Amino acid sequence: MPDRHLLDSLTNLSYTVGVMTKPDSLGQFEQLVMTAILTLRDDAYGVTIHGKVEELARPKAVSLGAVYVTLDRLEDKGFVASWLSEPTAERGGRAKRCYRLEALGERALQESAITARRIWEGIAEIWGKEWAKEWGKRWGKEAG
Amino acid sequence: MQTPPRRLERLVGLLIPPVSREVVLGDLHERFASLPRYLADVAAAVPMVIVSRIRRTTDFQVLLMEAFLLYLSFWAAARFWDEAMLADQFGYLRLAIPAAAAVLGLMLRDAYAKPGHRPGWKTIDGPLFGLGMAFLSGSIVAAGNRDLRLPPAVLIYGGGTGLLLTCALRMLFPPVADRPQGASGPAFWLMQAPEPFKLPDRFPPLVKVAAMVAAAGLVGALAIAAALVTLR
Repeated sequence: MPDRHLLDSLTNLSYTVGVMTKPDSLGQFEQLVMTAILTLRDDAYGVTIHGKVEELARPKAVSLGAVYVTLDRLEDKGFVASWLSEPTAERGGRAKRCYRLEALGERALQESAITARRIWEGIAEIWGKEWAKEWGKRWGKEAG
Repeated sequence: MQTPPRRLERLVGLLIPPVSREVVLGDLHERFASLPRYLADVAAAVPMVIVSRIRRTTDFQVLLMEAFLLYLSFWAAARFWDEAMLADQFGYLRLAIPAAAAVLGLMLRDAYAKPGHRPGWKTIDGPLFGLGMAFLSGSIVAAGNRDLRLPPAVLIYGGGTGLLLTCALRMLFPPVADRPQGASGPAFWLMQAPEPFKLPDRFPPLVKVAAMVAAAGLVGALAIAAALVTLR
């Protein structure tokens, strides 16, 4: 009779490998939050992530609560990891929860970026190069 | 530098589940610019933090079992103590109100529990809080609409049976917050991992035996009672 622990280990391994090879697709807001974490690097925590997401999502307003819920969900999916920093005076002597992207999250974000590029190319093909140039100029102005 | 009023911060802190309290209060403190903006931030963030914590600490399969056991307890109590109420137009709905309140209490207690190891007797605090919510819902319903009120005997005996059964269930399936996990542990993966059915070691053997006997006795008594009622 096969060893019970061996069976459990194999089940866990197959589940983990299954999750790692097929990351969940990201929703638009999840993409924004993960892009914010990626660009903020070591300074990614609640307040800064919210600020960056608002910048990326403009002109739409983004609530702080929506950012917390999304960060929890991304952590549960294994896309981001978090840790507590040292308490600081500007926060009333309280710690920050800092976030960083995990390998699985980086892969999921890369796939989302590739999909977004395909969408862009598909639209540009139909609506013409002039339209693509005009939007390119607008984005250039926004980026300064 | 402006800071939010300390009393207000303390009050907001009470609303936030302990596991997120320090981080969320710190973020709100850092963003403080004026009192109206602080209150707007609190209104936008705190309910979402609570909902997110409930989602993370609730094992919906276990919750469904708890809801079933609680409803069954109130139904069995009604069969014994006031069978006529079941024939009433809203009889089954009246039984669902305290059961739903108890389930809500269990969810909230788990969300507001401090994570990590807890002594064995603490397993009872979730079901006790749920029972309190069931009694509270009974009082509110009685004050609002007397037609939907449950007879006190049904509420007390149903609540007591439900308390015993949910305690026994929680010994078999401890709440998610009590399961071992790191500070940033992927709770979803842990919930998916197959766990062998085993009573936690932290319970003394006598408590385990007593819980099993109580659960078996209750199930047996319910089966016998159902059989007797059917035969009658």
